Formats: sequence, C-alpha cells, structure tokens
Amino acid sequence: MKKLCLLIVLVLLLASMTAAIAQDKPFAGQTIRVVLANHAWTDAVAPILSRFEEETGIKVEWESYGEEQLNQKLTTEFIAGKAGIDVFMTRPLQEGANMEMNGWYQDLKDYVSKDAEYDFEDFTEASRSAVTFNGTITAIPLVTEQEILYYRKDILEEKGIAVPTTMEELYAAAEALNDPDNDFYGFVARGQRSPLVTQLSAYIYSYGGDWFDRDTYTATLNTPETLAGIEMYSNLLRNFGPPGVLNMHWAQCIGIFNEKKVALYTDASSLYPNLLDPTKSDVADVTGCAVFPAGPEGSVSYDITAWGLAMYGESENKDAAWEFIRWATSRENSLYIQGEKAQQLARTSVWADPEGIKSFPADWAAAVAGTINAKSYDRPLITAVTEARDIIGGVVVTAIEGGDFEAVADEANAQFQSLLDLEK
Amino acid sequence: MTQKIRKWVGNAVYFAIVFLLLMLFLSPFLWMVYCSFKTPIELSKLPVNWLKGLTLDNYNKVFVQQNFFKFIKNSLIVAGGSTIFGLILGLPAAFAIARHSMKKASMLILVSRMMPGITFLLPLYIMFRQIGIVDTYLSLILSHMLTGLPFIIWLMTPFFESIPKDLVEAAIVDGAGSMTAFLRVVLPLSVPGIVTASILSFTFSWNNFMFSIVLATNKTRTVPVAIYNFISYASIDWGGLMAAATVITIPILILAITTQRYVIRGMTAGAVKG
Amino acid sequence: MLSRWIDRHEKWVFTFPSLFFVVIMMVFPLGYTIWNSMTNWTLTAKTPTAFIGFRNYVQMFAEDPRFLQSIVRTFAFTIGSLIFQMIVGVGAGILIDSKEYRGRKILNSILLLPMMATPVAVAMVWLLILEPTTGVANYLLKQIGLPVSKFLSGTNTVIPTFILIDTWEWAPLITLITLAGLASLPHDPFESAKVDGAGPLQVVWHITLPMLVPTISVGALLRFIDCFKTFDIIYTMTTGGPGYASETINIYTYQNAFYYFKFGYASSMLVIFFAIVLGTVLFVTYTRKKLEV
Repeated sequence: MKKLCLLIVLVLLLASMTAAIAQDKPFAGQTIRVVLANHAWTDAVAPILSRFEEETGIKVEWESYGEEQLNQKLTTEFIAGKAGIDVFMTRPLQEGANMEMNGWYQDLKDYVSKDAEYDFEDFTEASRSAVTFNGTITAIPLVTEQEILYYRKDILEEKGIAVPTTMEELYAAAEALNDPDNDFYGFVARGQRSPLVTQLSAYIYSYGGDWFDRDTYTATLNTPETLAGIEMYSNLLRNFGPPGVLNMHWAQCIGIFNEKKVALYTDASSLYPNLLDPTKSDVADVTGCAVFPAGPEGSVSYDITAWGLAMYGESENKDAAWEFIRWATSRENSLYIQGEKAQQLARTSVWADPEGIKSFPADWAAAVAGTINAKSYDRPLITAVTEARDIIGGVVVTAIEGGDFEAVADEANAQFQSLLDLEK
Repeated sequence: MTQKIRKWVGNAVYFAIVFLLLMLFLSPFLWMVYCSFKTPIELSKLPVNWLKGLTLDNYNKVFVQQNFFKFIKNSLIVAGGSTIFGLILGLPAAFAIARHSMKKASMLILVSRMMPGITFLLPLYIMFRQIGIVDTYLSLILSHMLTGLPFIIWLMTPFFESIPKDLVEAAIVDGAGSMTAFLRVVLPLSVPGIVTASILSFTFSWNNFMFSIVLATNKTRTVPVAIYNFISYASIDWGGLMAAATVITIPILILAITTQRYVIRGMTAGAVKG
Repeated sequence: MLSRWIDRHEKWVFTFPSLFFVVIMMVFPLGYTIWNSMTNWTLTAKTPTAFIGFRNYVQMFAEDPRFLQSIVRTFAFTIGSLIFQMIVGVGAGILIDSKEYRGRKILNSILLLPMMATPVAVAMVWLLILEPTTGVANYLLKQIGLPVSKFLSGTNTVIPTFILIDTWEWAPLITLITLAGLASLPHDPFESAKVDGAGPLQVVWHITLPMLVPTISVGALLRFIDCFKTFDIIYTMTTGGPGYASETINIYTYQNAFYYFKFGYASSMLVIFFAIVLGTVLFVTYTRKKLEV
C-alpha cells in the first residue's frame, strides 16, 4: 500500500515536471519553414538561430534565395496553394500591395496588439505605415534605407571642391572632377532600366515631382518637376558617367567606385559596407557620406522599409511562426543585429541606444540622421510595380542615351496611366 | 633547303593559329580560376598584379560557409537520375524508331525539345505539388528528363540505324526475342553512343538553371542555382562567385577529359548519318 | 509468351514508355498554357480572371511594339550566332584536321569545355571580363591599341556581344561535328582532286565543304533551336538590358510571367514562340528533304 502511494506520488511528480518542461517549451516538436532573401540581415540571424531553437523547441527549416528568385519562388508556391511556408521575407514596396491583394499575408494586427512586451509602437511610424496596406499589417519592418551621396574625400579636397549640398553644386562638382581621358569620371549611379528607378526617386522628389497623384490616381511622369529630376539624373550620367552606365546596377557602380575611377555616387545607404569596409574596398578611408543634395524643394530623399518579415496567410503553424517573427525582431535581437552586425533596422529604441549605433561610421550615421523630410516610398506604390518601373526606367534610358526623352515621357505617362486605371 | 624552311614556317604559322584559337576558348576559364584565388580588393585591379592578394578564402566560403558539397551531391543525384531514367526510356525508343523508321514518334519527341522551357515552369510546379513530390529529387529528375530524353533519342536513333540490320535479324532468327536481341546484340555494339548520350544528358542536367530555379527547394538545390548564394541584396562576392564557378565546372572538365574519346566517337555516329 | 507478344508489338512496346512520359509531361503544361493564353489572368489586377478569347494575341501583334521588337532581336541573335559559329566551327575543324600530330586529344578536350561548362557560371565570368571600365577585356584592347567597346552595356553592342559569347560557347560543338564528319569521309575524291592538281583551298571549297553539308546541317538545326531559346546567359548578364536592347522573346515572356505576373499574356507569347520554332524546324526539314531528293 505504502509502496503504491509512493509510486503514485512519484508518477504525479514526474507528470508535473514534464508539464513544467512542456510549459517552458510550448512549441516543442513543431517545425516551421522560413524562406528568406540572401541578405546581410539573414547572415546576421543565421548564427544565433540555434538559440531560438533551444529556447522554444521549434525547429526552423531555413532557406534563402536571391532577391528576384525569392519573389518568383514565393509567387509560384503561393499560386499553387498550400505552400507549406510559414515565415518569409518580403519587400513591402515591391510586392507588398500585390501580395496583400492576393491575400497571401497573415494580418499581424492581433499578434502585435496582444503582446505588450513586444512593443510594436517602438518601430518608426514611417516603417509601420510602410508595411500596412488597407489596414492590414502585412509584415514586421526589418531593414530601412535612404538615398545618400557617397563621395571621395581625397579627390574633392585635392581640387578644393566642397561636398555638394545642392543639385547645382553636385552637377558643377561632377563636371569639374570629370576626366575621361585619364579614365576618371565625375559621377556614377544606376543605369539599368528597372533598378535605376528607386535611385532616381530622390532626384525627382527634390525637384518637386512624383510618380503619380495619390488622391486622383493621375500619372505625373511628364510634369515639368518630374522631367527636371529625370533630366538632372540622366545629364549627370550622360555627361560625367563612365562608359556602359546603361548596364549598371549598384554592383557595377560600386566596382567602379572602388577602382578609384569615380568621385561622386548616389545610392542606397544600405550599400555602405561595400565602400567603407577596408576588406572590401580600397577607398574605405577616403570615402565620405553626405545627405542627398537639395533641389528646388530641398533635399527630399526616400526613407523606406526595404524588407519586412511576413507570415503566410495559410501557414499551419501560425503561433510558432509568430514566435519566430517576435524573436527575430525583438528589441534584444534588434539591438544585437543593428549594434553588432551594423544593419539599419527600424526600432527607435535601438537607434536611441549608444550600443545600437556603435558600429556605424560617423559621417554615414550623420547622413542618415540628416535625411529628414523624406518620402516613404522610392517607387510607385501600386500592385504592378515591376511593370511601372520598366515604363519609368525606359524614359531615363532614352534620356541617358541623349534621345528625345520628353516625347518618350509623354508616351510613358499614358502607359503608366493605364496601369493606374486598373488600380483605382 | 627552302622546302624545309617553308615547311617549318608553315608549321609555325599553323600552330600559332591553333594556339591562339585554343587560348581564345580557354582564357575565360583560366581567368575564372585565377580570380577565384584573389581577394575582393585585388580581384578587379588593373593592370593585374599577378602575385598580390592571393588567397584560399574564397574556397573556404564555397565549401565551409556555403557547404557546396551538399549542392554538388544534389546535382549528382539529379543529373545521374535523369540520365539513367532517360537511358532506360530512351534507348528502346530510339531502337524502335530506327528499326521501323517511325518518323511521327521521333517528331513528337523532338517537339518537346522545341517547347520553350518557361511553358513548363508553372504547370509542372502545380502538377508536382498535386502529387506531392515538390520537395524531392524526383521532381527535378523528371523535369530535367524533358531535355535529356529527347536528346538521347535524337542522338541514338541514327546510331542504331548504323548497326547492320542483318545482325539484329540474325539474332532474332536464332530464336532470341527482339528484347533479347536488343539487350544482347544491339546495346553492346552501341556503348560509344550510349556513353556520349549519357555524358551530354548528364551535362545538360548539371547545367540546367531554369527548371531548377523554380522547382528546387533548399533540400534539392543544385549547383547553378547555388551560385546565386554569392549575390545578395546589398553585396556581391566576386571572389566567392568565381570559386563557385570553378568548383561547378571542375566535375564537367574531368568528365570531358576522361571520356572525350567516347564523346567524339559517339558524335561521329550521331552526326554523320544525320 | 510475353516475349512473343513483345516481338509482335515491338514498335510500340519499345517506344511506349518514352512517348508516355513526353505526352504526360507535355499535355498538361501545353493545355494549361493554351487555356491561360485565352484568359486575362494577371496577379496584379483587381479584376477577376476571365476568358477573353484571342484578345491577348491581338494585343501582342497590334499594340505591343516591345513584343515585335523582341521577335526581330531574337532572329538577329539566332541568325548571327548561327552564321558565326558555323564559320568559326567549321573553319577550326578543317584547320585542326589538316595535320596529324600528338596532342590532338588535348585539343579536343579543350574544345569540349565551353559547351560543357555551366552557362550561368560562364556568364558570371564573362560579366566580370566584359565590364567596360574595370573588366580585363577593354584593358587588353587598350594595351594592344584597339578601340574599346561597351560590350554588354551598349544598346548597339549588346547583341553582337551575345553572339560572340554564344559562338565561344558553341562553335566547338560544330568543330567536333566537323572533325567527326571529316574522319568519316571517303578518301577517293580527295585523291583524285590531288591528282588533278587542285590546291588545298580549292579542295576545301569544292570537295570537303559540300560533303560536310549533311553532317553540319544536323548541328545547325539543333543550334538553331537552342539559340532561339537562349535564356541563361542573357538572364544572368543583362536580363534584357540595356534598356530593352537584348530582350529576346524568351526573356520578354519570362518578364511578363515572373516579373509582371501577367500569366495569361505570357502564355499567349509562349504559344507564338513555340509556333515560330516549330514552323521553322518543319520548314527546314521539309526543304532539306526536297534538296536531298
């Protein structure tokens, strides 16, 4: 009898212990599939993933793809249905509107609101509104970026030219520094049809232009302001750019910059490690960063949420998926990813913490901090983004080639308008 | 004497041209291999500083950080699988087509070679999802067979045509069935052709990019897709890219050198009969 | 019993597995594509997908200059590549065949490399080499005093550059086919030509080349199909740029399907694309047969 009692007590004890363990790891045994982009953020999280798996008992199946391949892969899987994806990385500006329309995002509203500790309000307002489509929170903002000016300190100093702060100064400096006979060029930026559009945006914004009127859905590609921005961008590239600029994405621009063949370069702030890391660049110690030059409307750059972390609407492990998103974008992890791995994240508290900004170069941080009054989009915010980018990019390509871009802009405006008409 | 000099000059010119031609075909590979040993900064320096900035770091990235062994294994399984299945299906078909001059059947198979690959991407994905093989090697093997199988048939049909009919007939008259005749008489005679067909089918599959990009998952990712691991959102690693490119081409290079006797003998049979 | 049954139906027993595979793998994709080609299925559109008959086809030819240009470009690339690699390939083959020496085997191995190497890998290497400012190609051209080129970055130079790259990749195949063809040629015509006192060039022009035609034409037909379908190298190096200067039908279709997500419209392009290739192949086979008769 006594023995039996003891046994029962033991069993009960054991059972409660197991329960306690189970309480600790409510997700033990679950597996989630996480599909990400090849991105420095992904590289930063991968090594600490095991911590998450130990803490929660969730097993993470982890895969990553190139930027475009990722979008194609996700779309194919989503179209086929029952995709078995739980969490994925997404570009709110590129595919956000479209994926939201097709119902592929899980609305995260309930998840973020019931979790006070997570503190969604800590994300910058711009980033929160960037991931919100028609009231749906489609993703948690990950990395942000702005367009800034990169320049060669030594060359500018040598020629006694001040760091350009306006478009006129930028143009004059590029002209003064351009020396094609010696294989040295004043200015470089993206010239590939579609990729150039995002970096063109700050130019047209600073001239007071935009892609379209968001109230009336009227295309504004051929307004004088927009055309002025396009003209400045393409004149810089045509007159002072290196040969072959039409096939240049950021990778080619950076290649040329690092080969000491160019003085001025405008592009996304996220690219700075390529220029300022001495293991990747020969000009790391002489490269400076500055706020995007001002046009008639002042310096109007973009301040965008380039990537977000989203949950698939048909995920079968939503709680585990949220657990992962929560962990990956928690304040603690954000502090680590931004502070140690120098990723530009969206949490205000991390930016306020000296630990959070210790890895950033001083003048880069100043340029980023100085980017105020920026727009939250760097491309037209519609569902058919890629098509719109091609239409806009075509105008710039014509302009860089010295063609009649104003006529092409009229044509493009009509094409773009017909896209907009489908979206109203 | 002049005869000798003229011959010597002729030879020199000849070998100079051949050498130049070869260098033209070879130099991108040499450049690729060389760049794979350079640090990112030195990689695009011109004029080239031949001995500066040499490193094994890029290979460390390929094998340790990216674990290319896994992708190579995947590619071997997919390429091997699609070749073996392609042979099992294709050889008898080519034999029958050759023996009975089945123009329509051969045309139908050629048609699948003409269809643009993009046609298959979405439908095949949906099909494979329905039968639940998306995450397996089988889906890649089947899709790669779409290029491999027609090629095997296309190459083997003229090869089989060139085998004297009497040999086959004699075997059949001796009491062997046509299956036995095919296995015992025809196949052994066709080894060079089969080797060629296998090598090329293997290569096509190894190199296939379009099907793999949509159909391969993390588990089954093959080497041409894996090379994109070195391109990410805001950085591109040329050194790692060149090392990966080198690693990808080496198996093919070895294959080409060790089997070239077969490839060329097989090509003779395939092309000459046309 | 079974063996006897197989013998009787040998023709179909032997071909059935292949035909079955090809039909299964083709019927659904083809049917799916043809069906989609008559819908306006677009992922980015708010309107629901509907059957629209042949409107996609009309739009393609009547309202889409980008598509028409891509057709012209595809033919320019294909024909240019074919001509170039035939000349280089056959020329190299005849040159290599004209002498016997040790080391010919190594030569053959090297020739195999460009076509065996993974196109994506090869494309990356070319991208590095051909970069106009930092690439080694222009550096070398400058060193020997030749004008530099924008290669893949110029709207006028991009297609010729792709033709050169495709030639580099595939001329060796033609060379190997030529070598194989030459090895199998009968000796008599050459002997009698020699007796008649024909020079080496005359022999090549009047005897070797005509006898090689049947052999090479097989290679040419295969190359035509593959050139027309070229995807990997263009996708990797320019994705159709600069501007749209290297956008072939295949690339434009891919753009429509996987960038614009206009699956309906892309499907109708695939149908046209397929029809062009099929038509050309049938035409070539037909005329070849006529010529042989």
